[in-house]
Amino acid sequence: MELLQAFAVSLQAVWLDSGFSAFTMGNGIMILVGLVLLYMAIVKEFEPLLLGPIAFGCILANFPRTGFLEEPGLMQAIHYGIANEIFPPLIFLGIGAMTDFGPLLARPVTLLLGAAAQIGVFVALVGAMLLGFNVQEAGAIGIIGGADGPTAIYLSIQMAPHLLGAIAVAAYSYMSLVPLIQPPIMKLLTSQKEREVAMEQLRPVTKFERVCFPIVAAIIISLLLPPIAALLGCLMLGNLFRESGVMDRLSDTAQNSLCNIVTIFLATGTGMTMNADDFLQPATLLIIGLGLVAFMSGTAGGVLFGKLMCRLSGWKINPLIGSAGVSAVPMAARVSQMVGMKAKPGNYLLMHAMGPNVAGVIGTAVAAGTMLAMLK
Amino acid sequence: MSHPVTTNPLIIMLINMTVVFLVLTALGVVINLIHYIDPTKPKAAPQEEVPVAPAPAAEPEPTVAVPVEEGISPEVVAVIAAVVASMGCAGTVKAIRPIERNNWKNSGRSAIQSRG
Repeated sequence: MELLQAFAVSLQAVWLDSGFSAFTMGNGIMILVGLVLLYMAIVKEFEPLLLGPIAFGCILANFPRTGFLEEPGLMQAIHYGIANEIFPPLIFLGIGAMTDFGPLLARPVTLLLGAAAQIGVFVALVGAMLLGFNVQEAGAIGIIGGADGPTAIYLSIQMAPHLLGAIAVAAYSYMSLVPLIQPPIMKLLTSQKEREVAMEQLRPVTKFERVCFPIVAAIIISLLLPPIAALLGCLMLGNLFRESGVMDRLSDTAQNSLCNIVTIFLATGTGMTMNADDFLQPATLLIIGLGLVAFMSGTAGGVLFGKLMCRLSGWKINPLIGSAGVSAVPMAARVSQMVGMKAKPGNYLLMHAMGPNVAGVIGTAVAAGTMLAMLK
Repeated sequence: MSHPVTTNPLIIMLINMTVVFLVLTALGVVINLIHYIDPTKPKAAPQEEVPVAPAPAAEPEPTVAVPVEEGISPEVVAVIAAVVASMGCAGTVKAIRPIERNNWKNSGRSAIQSRG
């Protein structure tokens, strides 16, 4: 009898300590959301390298009583890296090592297309404020339009950390949907004649230019906008690894091993911010809607500015490359290439679109820095 | 959180877009400056035009009709003729100039990258 009683008490204690006893409907819904995101990542291949760990982090975050964020351990260390803005600059180090600024250096005028596409950020900011978000939250939501995951996370952590999960999911989801979102807008805003414009071959870029650019750009932007010095500094340092020709081992590590490791931490940690209490709010749906508005208006802004440049240059610039100004490297540039090739087979726009594409990365970081300086 | 400078969304938009354009324009100026002072820049050499006798592209055997100038190998002439024939358009070749750029390399790179 005593044995049975001890057995019952033990079972009860195990049950009360288990996650099941504290499991809520909200946790169940969020685990389902995580499973849907995993499906999109694995089956539909929507940004699987990012959405996969985000989705699994979301599932992990909704197990009750894990003490992930309260007790020292791996999960708390990952959260520390997110909350203290350690991971986004490290990702930028890898992006810098992977990025070829050559097309931008060969045709610097395409920087303006990267600037014009940032209009999506501020259209979404205005929309968010009209919907009742405060100015910091609106800024963090707007940056989704920059189509740059690390920058979106970097800004959200500083301006609206409670919205980080929704903003990161919206940003990465829409980045993976760029091939579906952009082409209809590009076709709507351009004529057949504009889409057929063939661009001149880019001039060769010397090693001197490639090495000088990241150094000078890091100095100028960091002095001008210190809040993004860590982001832009790492981007340019990574690019210097690549272009110097004498730091190949560092370049290799930055663009492969380090970038992959940090991606795992950043994406899993971002997913772990998606707990039911923070995520299951009406605001999440609004953020996802505003993210779409931001992407669409950024694309439209880039294409319309491309049309202007097309006219001013005497039909030497194809307006389709303007849409690549929303960042989303290199997906957005590939979309420009794809739409251009459909309009005129043999019209290769990819290298031309890479200019505004990488300009968009810098433009989004500058927009984030300006907002941090103005609104934080 | 400290105080935001303004909470008017239109002013925020205006100021931010101005700053973004100014910073990126300044970067453009810097890029041009680097290009200007670049000591390793190849000096622009006057490109000599290599005239090729006009040959209608529609002709079945243009390689036979094209005279081979001194310095141009028959293989190059054959390649040019093949390209003209493959275009399939009726026209006149007025000039063929060599250019010192990596067109083929870039074209190949574009083709590979565009495959996704």
